[in-house]
Amino acid sequence: MFESIASFIVGVSAIFLAYYLAAVGHGLMEKSGVLNLAIDGVFTLGVAIAFAVSVYTFSVPLATFIAMIVAALFGLMLAFITTKLPISHGAAGLSTMFLGYGLAALVGLPARQLQINGRSLATIQPSLGGTWIWFYVVAFVVAIGIWYLVEKTKIGAAIRAAGENPASAEALGVNVLAVRLFASGVGYALIGIGAAVFELAYTQVWSQGAGMGYGWIAFAISLSAGRHPILILISAMIFAALDKYRFLIAATYNLPPDVGKMLPFVAAIAAMIIFMVTPLKRKLAPPKSLGKIYFREERTV
Amino acid sequence: MAAEANNAKPTFLSPPQEGKKPIVSLRGITKRFPGVIALDHIDLDIYPGTVHALLGENGAGKSTLVKVLYGIYTPDEGEIIINGRPTRLTSPADAINMGIVMVSQSPQIIDTLTVAENIILGLEKYNHFVPVTKVYKTIREESKRVGIKIDPGIEVWRLSYTQKQLVEILRAILLGAKVLLLDEAITYLPIEEKQRFYKFIRRFADEGGTVVLITHKIYEAMDVADKITVLRRGKVAGHLDRKEATIEKIRALMFGERSAEITYERLPTAQPEPKTILEVKDLWVMGDFGGYAVQGVSLEVKKGEVLGIAGVAGNGQKELIQAIMRLRPVMKGRIIYNGEDITRKTTYYLRVNGVGYIPDLPAKYGVSIENSIIENIAVLPVYSRGIINWDKIRELTLKLIKEFEIKTPSPDTPVKFLSGGNIMKVLVARELTVATNLLVAYNPTRALDEATAIKVRKIIKEKVLKNKVSAIIASEDLDEIFQISDRIAVMNSGKIVGVFPADKAKREEIEHLMVM
Repeated sequence: MFESIASFIVGVSAIFLAYYLAAVGHGLMEKSGVLNLAIDGVFTLGVAIAFAVSVYTFSVPLATFIAMIVAALFGLMLAFITTKLPISHGAAGLSTMFLGYGLAALVGLPARQLQINGRSLATIQPSLGGTWIWFYVVAFVVAIGIWYLVEKTKIGAAIRAAGENPASAEALGVNVLAVRLFASGVGYALIGIGAAVFELAYTQVWSQGAGMGYGWIAFAISLSAGRHPILILISAMIFAALDKYRFLIAATYNLPPDVGKMLPFVAAIAAMIIFMVTPLKRKLAPPKSLGKIYFREERTV
Repeated sequence: MAAEANNAKPTFLSPPQEGKKPIVSLRGITKRFPGVIALDHIDLDIYPGTVHALLGENGAGKSTLVKVLYGIYTPDEGEIIINGRPTRLTSPADAINMGIVMVSQSPQIIDTLTVAENIILGLEKYNHFVPVTKVYKTIREESKRVGIKIDPGIEVWRLSYTQKQLVEILRAILLGAKVLLLDEAITYLPIEEKQRFYKFIRRFADEGGTVVLITHKIYEAMDVADKITVLRRGKVAGHLDRKEATIEKIRALMFGERSAEITYERLPTAQPEPKTILEVKDLWVMGDFGGYAVQGVSLEVKKGEVLGIAGVAGNGQKELIQAIMRLRPVMKGRIIYNGEDITRKTTYYLRVNGVGYIPDLPAKYGVSIENSIIENIAVLPVYSRGIINWDKIRELTLKLIKEFEIKTPSPDTPVKFLSGGNIMKVLVARELTVATNLLVAYNPTRALDEATAIKVRKIIKEKVLKNKVSAIIASEDLDEIFQISDRIAVMNSGKIVGVFPADKAKREEIEHLMVM
């Protein structure tokens, strides 16, 4: 019994960290009011970049770093175009998502060819030398760090202000664009690292479309925890376990495997309903101006 | 904000020097919006140590001017000179850096944040990563000094309107405001709170600070200002010293020759019949962001009377009116119209049964601006069930254009080419025609200038008196409520907190109930 719990904790550590980082990054960005529908595309791209860089350079840190930087650039771009111009967050996000899918194939396929021809992929093994402990440490440190940043600091107040009411925030002295660039840049950097962890520590293989759909699960994890950095730990753990053991669960209970895939979204919807009908709604409600076009020079009569 | 005169702490600013230069000068400021010139070459000098009132009717350009001064709008032409130096203000942060801080009519502070979080956002001396608790001590000290009792850790949604305005003022002081822009900030405060604010404003100016008081209430300006500038249609109509200012002079500047038509005398009181036309019983309606905006409201409107609903914006009037019009779901309670329970009926049902509706922001919710006047009238279900008889509608439209003096090239002109006042007239004309039984309205004259507004009120009241139509009118403008209502209900935080016969109601009491 003890052994199986231990092997469970080790077994889910990588996918847990990947989900956690992507979900918390997503939540941070949305706290600032930018609706993030690009997450799955950029996550998929991050997976491909981590894979390709790892094949070319055989360096896990470098692969993770480049995936992080590229993802952060996408975050900055999304925040910039949706805040500076009256552009629909939904349209910008979904277009970026498809862009991410396309680029992922472009980046990943040549590296895959190299790998087939014998080049090896640098990976990181959670079970080796207690690496998995560090995965949990990183998740907890990030959780406390982001929670402190959002709830306790001046910039955290600015991020929440920009998400609640950007026009008022601006009048209070917040540079909404700068704050959204910050939140989206940091948020997407975390999504990028999450994608790298997913590729290099969890799946450790790549084929076209690898990672697709996992960004949406991170999206659902964030939603189902009300974008709260600490609560996301719990929901990320649940979904990590589901992902790791879904075949086992399906086999044991004789369920179609697709049921497992649907679960995160069912849980997200259920959680949203629970938040909105209980007193939790004040704390965990979505930012009021999430996804709303913010354009300063509009006349208000 | 009780005066604590013997205070050792340094005050707001160094005392004013005599023979001083203006702290803010505007030269030729022009701002255009599609179809309107909001500001047309404004020249203005504001001196340190003075309270300078900017007066003007709605749409005169006051708010636009303040937004230019606060960096929310950038002017299309002209120069802003601060302390003798031409300055470009591109955001409120720029303005705050120059010592210019605005407090507006609707509190800008954000509900979900705490008082301290709201305040620290503008304080440059704190870097981005400091904990918000760092500012608590300063807030406690400064709030004590100016006589405001406030807990820095409290979330703003727990505060009353007056408390929110006090937080705004406190914030301005902590930002080191040299120029305080008060944009209708005290207009909706109750009398006794107003007096405290006046004292504070006076003291702030005496200590060398500058206050720009933007208001459409002449009395407010005369109570506290040293200098008065009147704006009219985006231009400066005149500058007055307090000493030479009289109500008549100011009104003449604000409205020109039309000032003669302005009267706030109550319109004749109706003699309602005993029959109840509209009855609302224990109504609960949700707001836009969760939570009940209307909390157990009960009221009734008799045949041939006007029930006015007074209240500061955002106290549930909008939701109440929308629920009555069946545009917003009712969570609990009942609405009875003409003896029939309409709680689960549709808007369509009301519209074909003699209910007229004038919504807030008419250009957005009242008419389709891309369509012509005639189409905007034909669209009502009373006229467009099945096949539209265009000849009849055209006849009606021409009649209304004549009756309401709507200025338009033709009935086929798209509404968007009309002025705001004329759009409103189209709407009022149309709705009064279908309101054979009940008129439901929210801020029916907000888009209109004072003279036109009074005319519209007269038309509505005439219809009530002559045709025994009933009306329920919610308005944020107390003058309007007093002028048109037969009974006044006061709404505050989603509840009706008092109902008065209009001819006996006391303004102070109603103002007090609105913000308590």
